[in-house]
Amino acid sequence: MKQAESNRGTIRVAKLDPSFKFEVLKHEETQGLNACFACGTCTAGCPVHEIFPEYSPRKLAKMVKLGMRKEVLSNPYIWYCVTCHNCEQRCPQNVKFFNILNVLKNMAAKKGYAPASWVKQTQQVKKTGLIFPLDEALAKKRESLSLPVLKSEGTKAKKLIQLAGLDKIKAEKHS
Amino acid sequence: MNRYALFLGCTTPTQVIQYELSSRWVCRQLGIELVDNEDFVCCGINQVNLSQEAGLLLAAMNLAFAEEKGLDILTLCAACTGHLAESVERLKNQETRDRVNNKLKKIGLKYKGNAKVKHISKVLYEDIGVDRIKERIKVDLSNLRVAPHYGCHYLKPESAYAGFDDPDNPKTLHQLISAAGAFAVQYETLNLCCGGKSFPVSREVAFYLVQKKLDNLMAQEIDCMVVHCQTCYLMYSDQQKVINEQFKKKYNIPVLLYPQLLGMALGGDPKSDLGLDLNTVSSNNLLAKAGIKRKI
Repeated sequence: MKQAESNRGTIRVAKLDPSFKFEVLKHEETQGLNACFACGTCTAGCPVHEIFPEYSPRKLAKMVKLGMRKEVLSNPYIWYCVTCHNCEQRCPQNVKFFNILNVLKNMAAKKGYAPASWVKQTQQVKKTGLIFPLDEALAKKRESLSLPVLKSEGTKAKKLIQLAGLDKIKAEKHS
Repeated sequence: MNRYALFLGCTTPTQVIQYELSSRWVCRQLGIELVDNEDFVCCGINQVNLSQEAGLLLAAMNLAFAEEKGLDILTLCAACTGHLAESVERLKNQETRDRVNNKLKKIGLKYKGNAKVKHISKVLYEDIGVDRIKERIKVDLSNLRVAPHYGCHYLKPESAYAGFDDPDNPKTLHQLISAAGAFAVQYETLNLCCGGKSFPVSREVAFYLVQKKLDNLMAQEIDCMVVHCQTCYLMYSDQQKVINEQFKKKYNIPVLLYPQLLGMALGGDPKSDLGLDLNTVSSNNLLAKAGIKRKI
């Protein structure tokens, strides 16, 4: 994993970007970040950390505070979160790391790091309103079980996706 | 009268239709009226990865559709429940609500904050209650030892659920399984996530988590696992087969959706009412043990 290496070694103060933290803190959901005293309860309870020690909520929170913009946003592990909410559930300081991570992922997506799978899902929602396509086999299967016909329509969802600027997000090239 | 707008989500009506089938059947038996709404679309939870705003807008739109009909929402998917309920909390902030409504106006909608969001198990637990469920049991399932799996979003974020269950020591699904007459076991990895939300990005994470729980459960004396979220179902059931093939494992744990288990106890037909034949791991041993003659 290419990114893991750049997370190690000396942190060069001259390369830090102090504006990064304030940019993250602009979002209402991230306010708790200032209360983080790096106890690591989040990381201790994180199932992803168990498999990939490179992924650590505590470390990411610290990296945001230090201003390690590029290292955080290009970190491939930020996309591995299983959304179990253990980090915020167990945080003694009531930091909503799950929300902070979402802000970071949104920023990373704008910088071109979005995984292709999530971009593809959004494109599907714009078509059918659901993350899956609907085909004739499914329609027949549902009919055989007397389940109602699924309407396949994404016009309004598409409009909202456009209004949120989500349709401008492109997938990371190699992903 | 228990009347709800049925929110199917994306995955249940396309990939796990036995969950939809058995939920509709169980609700009919217990007097919960489910109203279909063709306008519902994806709840928005996966869009949050790329744009929290898009995720919130999709949730608000779905909530507004239910409000138009004057109904609360009944969900089947734990993640839809979590995302919609969390969005309700977020939309209590006037500034956020105004911003969202400015965008909803462009598709002719307005979010007012009237619709509540309840997972089917919460509806069964609160609206019907374990005592009334027990009164309706026709088939004795007391031979069955069942491992419950709650699903993260059924319990968390806690702020969206107003103390409904305890995320660290959950009880409601255990009680619902007991109400159906089966024995709900406790086990070490009870609170472990299914990994479903990492599956599209990292199978390594997802497979590790699935195997960790299945390893734990293989060492228990259980007849099946019961989940109440189609993503958890796909991870433990469909992916159980994939893992067996890919990693030469021999997992053999039937995974049922809770309405399928309750439906068995209520005397439902295993195939036409509960769709047990559509489950990836066969339930035939389970049915035999429960004294249900019909095979699938």
